[in-house]
Amino acid sequence: MISGKISAKVEEYVFGGLVAAIGVFTLLDATTIAARADNAVGPRAFPYAVGVLLVATGVAAIIATARGKLGQAEEGEDVAVDSRTDWVTVGKLVAVLIAHLVLIDLVGWPVAATVLFFGAAWTLGAVWWRALPIAVALALVVQVVFASGLGLSLPAGIFEGVPFLDG
Amino acid sequence: MDSITALLEGFATAAQPAYLLYALLGVTLGTAVGVLPGIGPAMTVALLLPLTYTLDPTAALIIFAGIYYGGMYGGSTTSILLNTPGESASIVTALEGNKMARAGRGAAALATAAIGSFVAGTIATVLLTLLAPTIADIAVTLGPADYVALMVVAFTTVAALLGSSPVRGLASLGLGLFIGLIGTDTLSGQQRFTLGVSTLADGIDVVVVAVGVFAVGEALYVASRLRHGPIEVIPVGGKWMTREFWARSWKPWLRGTFIGFPIGTVPAGGADVSTFVSYAAEKKLSKKPEEFGHGAIEGVAGPEAANNAAAAGVLVPLLTLGLPTTATAAVIVAAFQSYGIQPGPLLFTNNSAMVWALIASLYIGNVMLLVLNLPLVKMWVKVLQIPRPYLYAGILLFAALGTYAVNFVVDDLIVLLIIGVAGFFMRRHGYPVAPLVVGLILGPMAEEQVRRTLQISEGSLSALVTSPFAAVAYSVLVVLLAVAVVVRVRRKKAETLV
Repeated sequence: MISGKISAKVEEYVFGGLVAAIGVFTLLDATTIAARADNAVGPRAFPYAVGVLLVATGVAAIIATARGKLGQAEEGEDVAVDSRTDWVTVGKLVAVLIAHLVLIDLVGWPVAATVLFFGAAWTLGAVWWRALPIAVALALVVQVVFASGLGLSLPAGIFEGVPFLDG
Repeated sequence: MDSITALLEGFATAAQPAYLLYALLGVTLGTAVGVLPGIGPAMTVALLLPLTYTLDPTAALIIFAGIYYGGMYGGSTTSILLNTPGESASIVTALEGNKMARAGRGAAALATAAIGSFVAGTIATVLLTLLAPTIADIAVTLGPADYVALMVVAFTTVAALLGSSPVRGLASLGLGLFIGLIGTDTLSGQQRFTLGVSTLADGIDVVVVAVGVFAVGEALYVASRLRHGPIEVIPVGGKWMTREFWARSWKPWLRGTFIGFPIGTVPAGGADVSTFVSYAAEKKLSKKPEEFGHGAIEGVAGPEAANNAAAAGVLVPLLTLGLPTTATAAVIVAAFQSYGIQPGPLLFTNNSAMVWALIASLYIGNVMLLVLNLPLVKMWVKVLQIPRPYLYAGILLFAALGTYAVNFVVDDLIVLLIIGVAGFFMRRHGYPVAPLVVGLILGPMAEEQVRRTLQISEGSLSALVTSPFAAVAYSVLVVLLAVAVVVRVRRKKAETLV
């Protein structure tokens, strides 16, 4: 429990630091935006203001953390607030999303979508033999609706040239 | 009365079978996403944006308005029948409604929420009809400096006054403003913060950001702490059509309406604040205050009415000034912009037919929602029981689909993932996501107005505050901030005493 509190604090420092770092980047990069010298209000002024806001709030968040005022984690219907963070599940979901975006151009949207839905449902605890047919059906239905109904076509990939699936 | 004729014409348009179907689609989707945990109206509108490009703007906006109103109805069903806290606007309902359901009076709780939402939604839409054209007439005379003032008020209230941590709210706003800066500056044509990446030259699409923080961020966050085990839905019990039901409900409905609408209209609160105010008022006025906390029907009727009236109130600044004060409103502004329409004072002159059809559809949508949520409530109870692995897998799939459908490039999915992970950490550490979305959409508009003001004044900064309207707006903001500080200090004192 104590180690959990310490890691939450470290995370808060890192997030506050990131906000401030984006602010510093905004301020530095804003100086490189080309602007005419005679123009009082060019494309740089607003970025400077945003940069200052980010640096100020990032530093303030770090100070608040140091004083022990941690942010309150969001509540939700499906969230068990007291439970420990399940990093493995989060990691798997991110991996599934990466697999999806890599697969779209390789084998087409229907396969990539099946992988995404099946992978996510399985990771979250669904039974694989029930999740798989649902994933396949969902991907194919969306593919057909897009190809025939909406006039927008998703890359068919391995199904190229197949009627209904390739718009 | 010009606006009444215009409204009747709006009804003639909105009552066409095709538009009625779009309204039904909108309110059904809206109720579904309101009922389901993990998705909300803001994300749903964002997801549907790319899919509705082929529709005419009126049809698309009727769908979006239906989703917006429907989400408010659906949320109450969840908070009454699930024993866990729901979206912020309906927490107060959960307090009393949940207790009622447990005591076998679930039917009465659901009915007072649905009818109260209908009464409040309808009255508030009437107020919107009467007020909006007048405010639009006044708003036409506002200059760029006045708009800057209004946006500063909106930024400050959304980021610093709502939520538990002003610092984190402002940081979230800053992140949104920063994302809004990425891309090509409209006035000078200069690229900013694109790091030389060509995908970023056109800026990051609002859809990608909204879906990233709402859908992907939420799904990752819930997954990290998923409540396992069966979903406990309280069975709906009891009768509601009793004399006592009506006698105890009608006054809170009306009071809630007149508390919620003004709070929604001014950029100072949105739905959450109105429900708390209404709850406190009902508790004070009740003859049996001891019932509060144990299932008092007034504590459901009032806040639910206030919630819906505030939602309609939010549409007043949205339609007349182009000023969104909630995340959903911000995404609706983005929807208008994607059709090349800028909500604001000129909307009622330039797109009169469309805007009146939209308002007429709000009346129609409210009637549909009453039917969907009163006799058909059992259907939503089933929706509530969707197994969570499939629900969140579905959310991720449609998030990726909606993002990909914007430009059909994989690069957008990379941006989606990065923003989703950021949204995950924001939720873990109490950074609210609404200010980010509002900042993203209002930021570029604010910058344009600031630069226009300073161009007219030739660089003199005093022009930003010397217009009478702007001066009044900033004074009101200072007063609001002072009140907020006092309330915070008092609350802290009260907490330390306990």
